Amino acid sequence: MMLKRREKLSILAFALLVVFAVAPVSNAMHIMEGYLPVTHCVLWMVVCLPFLVLGLVNIKKVLRDDRRTLMVLALTGAFVFVLSSLKIPSVTGSCSHMTGTGLGAILFGPCVTSILGVIVLLFQAVLLAHGGLTTLGANCFSMAIAGPILAYAVYKLCCKMNVNKKVTVFLAAFLGDMFTYCVTSVQLAAAYPSEVGGFGASLVKFLGIFAATQIPLAVIEGILTVVIVIALETYAKNELRSLSF
Amino acid sequence: MNICMLIFLFCLAVCMFAHGSWKGRGRRGGGFGHRHGGSMLSVDYFAYASALRKWNAVFKAVFATACLLLCIILNNIYVSILVILVMGYLTVVIGGMSFRQYLSMMLVPVVFLLLGSVAIAAGFSMEPAGQYQLRVFGLFYIYCSDASLLRAAELVLKALGAVSSLYMLTLTTPLGELITVLRKAHVPKVLVELMHMIYRYIFIMLDTHSRMKNSAESRLGYVDFKTSCYSFGQVASNLLIVSLKRGNAYYNALESRCYDGELRFLEEEKPVQGRQIALAAGFVILLFCVWLLGKYMN
Repeated sequence: MMLKRREKLSILAFALLVVFAVAPVSNAMHIMEGYLPVTHCVLWMVVCLPFLVLGLVNIKKVLRDDRRTLMVLALTGAFVFVLSSLKIPSVTGSCSHMTGTGLGAILFGPCVTSILGVIVLLFQAVLLAHGGLTTLGANCFSMAIAGPILAYAVYKLCCKMNVNKKVTVFLAAFLGDMFTYCVTSVQLAAAYPSEVGGFGASLVKFLGIFAATQIPLAVIEGILTVVIVIALETYAKNELRSLSF
Repeated sequence: MNICMLIFLFCLAVCMFAHGSWKGRGRRGGGFGHRHGGSMLSVDYFAYASALRKWNAVFKAVFATACLLLCIILNNIYVSILVILVMGYLTVVIGGMSFRQYLSMMLVPVVFLLLGSVAIAAGFSMEPAGQYQLRVFGLFYIYCSDASLLRAAELVLKALGAVSSLYMLTLTTPLGELITVLRKAHVPKVLVELMHMIYRYIFIMLDTHSRMKNSAESRLGYVDFKTSCYSFGQVASNLLIVSLKRGNAYYNALESRCYDGELRFLEEEKPVQGRQIALAAGFVILLFCVWLLGKYMN
């Protein structure tokens, strides 16, 4: 069946609108409340559980040795939350936020990041309305577990290979962000496979549509993480040592 | 055919609305749209101002979670609409929040909702499929069927219902009370303690940050994109350094007040009224009835 010309135009106009008018306003990578079916919510929570228990055991061990570390943990948790609530500079003057995934992994390692991450995600759901309670498991897996682990691995690998420090940090933050975005797309595609083509086609759709907001964001996040890490290394060598658990 | 036009108009309206709301972000005071990242969090402010704050937090948490789960599990358009209306009524009319503010809060997840639903409503394939299709560069078809449109509409309503239940809880209950609910639900003590501390430090940090940002801004730190990136990074890293330097002092202050590994906070006693429980239970039963009715009709 052929579409009338006017309707074709309207669809095209709509696509353009989505890409240029709304896309830059992004904090789109938190799966919103109520967007996943119940089975998927429970599944992702169960997947997260072992990582969280591991992180908790790790933190308890550190705290038994030195209770003072609790303060450092609380402060860094608050820092990650505040960082993720700040409007980052962008070319279009729109409003987007950092995820802080890469920075957390580089500074504290993936174990601690998982615990801080789940608290920060809960606070984001409650205080900023980004994400939700039922989708906490899915968001936690993509942002507090998968992203940080990849970012940490890239960081360690590049350090071993003696790559330039700035390039290393940029790559870790950028790839961590990209991986988070891919995992979220996989989660959405698994929940909503497409009528023709099933999971694969659906994955391509989600990856394609969210790319408009996520790729520029990942680049900016990479640049900002480089600036932050370099500044920290210049001015706070001693404090950084207290962070390495 | 007309569905296409309708959807287009609806999306246009939402886009304009969202556009207007983020343009208003910069204005002080009267601006439409929610702002955060200043020295204040809007949700926290609304929670303290709400009249529903004097309700028992555990009751609210259980009720909101029940409605949220029912919304997702029952997956019925009428249930979703009912939940949206009742939760909106509770938050706005009984809680005394302004409708404009509530609407702007509902718009927070709109980008995700739009992009995600487009991905679900539309598909692409090599052969023509579905009721509506559009040929792109003669390569493949973007198609859209009545079934997928209905699925996307159901999903949007379901998500909005879930969000409105979540808002009924978070826009009327300060986070401190919510953490107490978690403590009563036997979440590990270390986590609860960390949450309490993080909640407190957030405000100290936001305050420090807004001062740093002001001083950077008054020195033209945000004139263009490159400078803004540099200033943002400098301010953020300095924030962490300053906080870590203060951390020791905070711990000393705790210890000098006999901190022995457990933080205790004043918890207000807020008894639940029998009427509230009865009404809540009635509403949950009503949701079930609506669901059964919908099933029976089909």
